[in-house]
Amino acid sequence: MIKLDPRTKLLLLLAEAVIVLGGLGGGNAEPFKTVFMALPFLLLLTVKKYRTAVIGAVLLGLGLAAGHIPTEGRGAIVLLMCSGILTRFVPSLMMGNYVMSSTRVSEFTAAMERMHVTPKITIPMAVMFRFFPTVKEECSAIGEAMKMRDIRLGGSKVMQMAEYRLVPMMTCSVKIGEELSAAALTRGLGSPVKRTNVCRIGFRAADIAMFLLCAAALVWIIWRSVT
Amino acid sequence: MKGKDLINIGIFSAIYFVVVMVFAMLGFIPVFMPLLAVLVPIAGGIPFMLFLTKVKKFGMILIMSIIMGIMMILTGMGFFTVIVSAVTGLCAELVYRSGQYKSASKAVLTHGVFGMWLWGNYLPLFFMADKYWSTRKDFGQDYIDALTKLMPMWMCPVLLVTAFVCGIIGGLLGKAVMKKHFVKAGIV
Repeated sequence: MIKLDPRTKLLLLLAEAVIVLGGLGGGNAEPFKTVFMALPFLLLLTVKKYRTAVIGAVLLGLGLAAGHIPTEGRGAIVLLMCSGILTRFVPSLMMGNYVMSSTRVSEFTAAMERMHVTPKITIPMAVMFRFFPTVKEECSAIGEAMKMRDIRLGGSKVMQMAEYRLVPMMTCSVKIGEELSAAALTRGLGSPVKRTNVCRIGFRAADIAMFLLCAAALVWIIWRSVT
Repeated sequence: MKGKDLINIGIFSAIYFVVVMVFAMLGFIPVFMPLLAVLVPIAGGIPFMLFLTKVKKFGMILIMSIIMGIMMILTGMGFFTVIVSAVTGLCAELVYRSGQYKSASKAVLTHGVFGMWLWGNYLPLFFMADKYWSTRKDFGQDYIDALTKLMPMWMCPVLLVTAFVCGIIGGLLGKAVMKKHFVKAGIV
């Protein structure tokens, strides 16, 4: 079982965003680009998220395959774009999924505190990451309610559809947010004393390996770009 | 700022970010790339105007703006955005403060200024064009050609102005939606 430090996970997320999503170095990034494309799937396996890993792997495979189908004209543009979107976004999404599902908010806060990030940034970000799943849940609940009353996405009523989806989502989110902040405040968030934390975080062998991997990728890309 | 304010920032950042991301996905179709400067500030107006009703202290808008910049780094949009968003966030903060954190017309103007953070995402397209495109070869030469044609240099200031104007439109829209729904629902 590999357990990474939240700071390492942040670094990996950043590396994923820069190398795979941002495409730093273009062709010079190989073979590290391939490594970083595969890495999130391996990490997902370590936290036993098999279903997500398989779905992601299938999507990524489709994306890679779409880039190699020989076509001409308009079809080629669409295929290349689909391929580009899938191969760029799927690995980063998987990495994001891994980081979110394997890091508890408490661990995240502890890591940020070690990095001397001010709580004025840390607390909103922790709340935000905690809140994304809630927003998603509310959205799907609203979708179900609309389906039940047979309200469908009509082509000519885009604004209305946006309104009918956005407004309930925001109303629910604000209400939930108020409850969340009441709960957090009774547990002492925002009190003037220094916060203690039960989470043990620290760098272990796996973290060092990941750091070395990122450093190697960076050096490799710079070296290849210069020569 | 107290804990409650910080939590509010987090909640509204999440809602705002989700709304932005839904529209940002359209950016893969070349025509929509410059249009994002229109769509995102308009759509973002609704959550942001609701957020402004909770803003009572200095720094809340600035922090939200910086968080948007950080999220753009994490989603691979480059490092320019966080610099731009820190500046526009501070300006938006000062605008809203000049209205004692309650003026409705200043709130609309605040969203206009705040919405300009989006402009930071376009900067690499103009100032580091070669590097930008060298990292996006896998989208195919046609995509690159289509976008280069859409984005001549003079588009750079135009996009900034567009984002501001559409931010104001979004602010007005947000105000209207707030009046229509949120006041009635009792969450303002």
